[in-house]
Amino acid sequence: MDYTKSEMQAYTIAKMIEEDQVVIVGTGLPLVGAIMAKKMVQPSCTLIVESGLMDFNPTEVPRSVSDLRSMAHCGATLPPYRYLGFQANELLKDSKRLIGFIGGAAVDQYGNVSATCIGDYHHPKTRFPGSGGANGIASFVNTIIIMPHEKRRFVAQMPYITSPGWIKEAGRAGTGLPVNRGPMAVVSDLGVMRFDEKTHRMYLAGYYPFTSPEEVQANTGFEMNVSRAVVLPEPDADCIRMLQKIDPDRIYLLK
Amino acid sequence: MISKLYTLSDAIAKFVHSGDHIATGGFTTSRKPMAAMNEILRQGQTDFIVEAGPAGSDWDMMIGAGRVKAYINCYTANPRFSNVSRQFRAAIEEGKLLFEDYSQDAAMMMFHGAALGLAYVPVRMMLGSGMEQEWGISKEQRQQIEKLPNEKFMIQDDPFHPGEKLLLLPTPRLDTAIVHVQMASPDGTCRIFGDPYQDVDLALAARNTIVTCEELVSDEYIRREPDRNSIPGIAVAAVVHVPFGGHPSQVYDLYDYDKEFYLDYDRAGKTDAAFEQFLKEWVYDLEDHESYLNKLGASRLMDLKVVPGIGYHVSDESVAKGEMI
Repeated sequence: MDYTKSEMQAYTIAKMIEEDQVVIVGTGLPLVGAIMAKKMVQPSCTLIVESGLMDFNPTEVPRSVSDLRSMAHCGATLPPYRYLGFQANELLKDSKRLIGFIGGAAVDQYGNVSATCIGDYHHPKTRFPGSGGANGIASFVNTIIIMPHEKRRFVAQMPYITSPGWIKEAGRAGTGLPVNRGPMAVVSDLGVMRFDEKTHRMYLAGYYPFTSPEEVQANTGFEMNVSRAVVLPEPDADCIRMLQKIDPDRIYLLK
Repeated sequence: MISKLYTLSDAIAKFVHSGDHIATGGFTTSRKPMAAMNEILRQGQTDFIVEAGPAGSDWDMMIGAGRVKAYINCYTANPRFSNVSRQFRAAIEEGKLLFEDYSQDAAMMMFHGAALGLAYVPVRMMLGSGMEQEWGISKEQRQQIEKLPNEKFMIQDDPFHPGEKLLLLPTPRLDTAIVHVQMASPDGTCRIFGDPYQDVDLALAARNTIVTCEELVSDEYIRREPDRNSIPGIAVAAVVHVPFGGHPSQVYDLYDYDKEFYLDYDRAGKTDAAFEQFLKEWVYDLEDHESYLNKLGASRLMDLKVVPGIGYHVSDESVAKGEMI
């Protein structure tokens, strides 16, 4: 193949964004995918970020959610609490235009994500930076979760949930979270997972040309239904060139 | 009008005390009051109750230097340089830090609520998450810390929408806020360019706010366009003129982050000895901010300058080539 796994993943992220969507994008690979969407695949989308930068279109890939590369030439620099109001008030509109990308250290079969710790919360084996804006995004917005596909990261149960997904088989009812918002998909470096409408369980919806449903299952820590999986389209040469132009120093794209 | 102009050393000595409930402005690697943090390290104040917000090496250094008594956090990283701040991570993994997690949204609402004079803010985030289920600082521990409320939050039915839940966030009563801005005048009036982050809220919430500024202008000058000003002088206790006072973080319109400095900080964070050596070299062995700037050198600082029209630093060759994504 003449593209890397990481380029395939970024391209798939870009393709997830639909016409006229407003996209909350933090750091990491989603930035590369979202910038690609904005420049090439889905120019009608609007990118926003939790620090309050509304409608940005960077000319160099940003490193953080507050980066000058997103701040320069954006539509408005709101204080973060105004962004939060926008995020919450979208629930009052009859629209599902707002989507958010979130990452983390691990995801369970219901799309619950941890970005806080592995092991006991009070005495963790590994501590991560914490929620940032991810908890609010996961609470109020339909999300796409980005995760490297490893057994230790795709786990049956999540002891500490930083960003709530569908919570459990019965869904979000009773938690106080909006019941009609939650994770739509997980994009890993092996494929795209979605969630069953009835059981809220993750299933394999698509895999990349260089992998297989068997490889996805072998790298997943719970039983994954692969019966609905199809092969996903690969990027053409123009798309690969664009990805390499967006992240020439491979800050996010793996080598 | 009364001048609130101080030297950095005098402002920190007068308004930052051991045990303070304290917060800083800026966002991870952007517009962080780093010169002020270095001066606190030199002067020795400790036992802070910290409302860290979106933190980077500002609070990571303080944790590593043992100055933090309780760390109320939502995110601590220098993204892409240290994806988890190393002193923060080590202190928690080794059980040496009293810490509490909120979501960043919650932290921002708590700051804004405090600025509005509200006792608490009802929200719907954190519900169903580990932040609802686990308290980093227990009720018993909270009772021992006068500056913290006894509850991390409370959960209540929404009185206006029966059946819906609300999570009530207590607003912090801050002793001290430190913010770094692009422009201020001697009476304390501030102008922030670009994203204000939580900074205006902190200034309006804290008992004492210290402002460090890149540019000091006259009170008359800053009043020519009051609609562009962010913080009124009456909300500010001290103004300090500190050019490059945000280094190594970036300051919108003026300079970019110092990538090499952040990478050096990350490498130094890998061992206690290297971290101590880093602080010795860049903080303790330097008398003041001017010595820090001289050690960095003029050409290094010039190499961080934002290119007008582009909005961040790029090389002259890139400007000439004009090629961007």
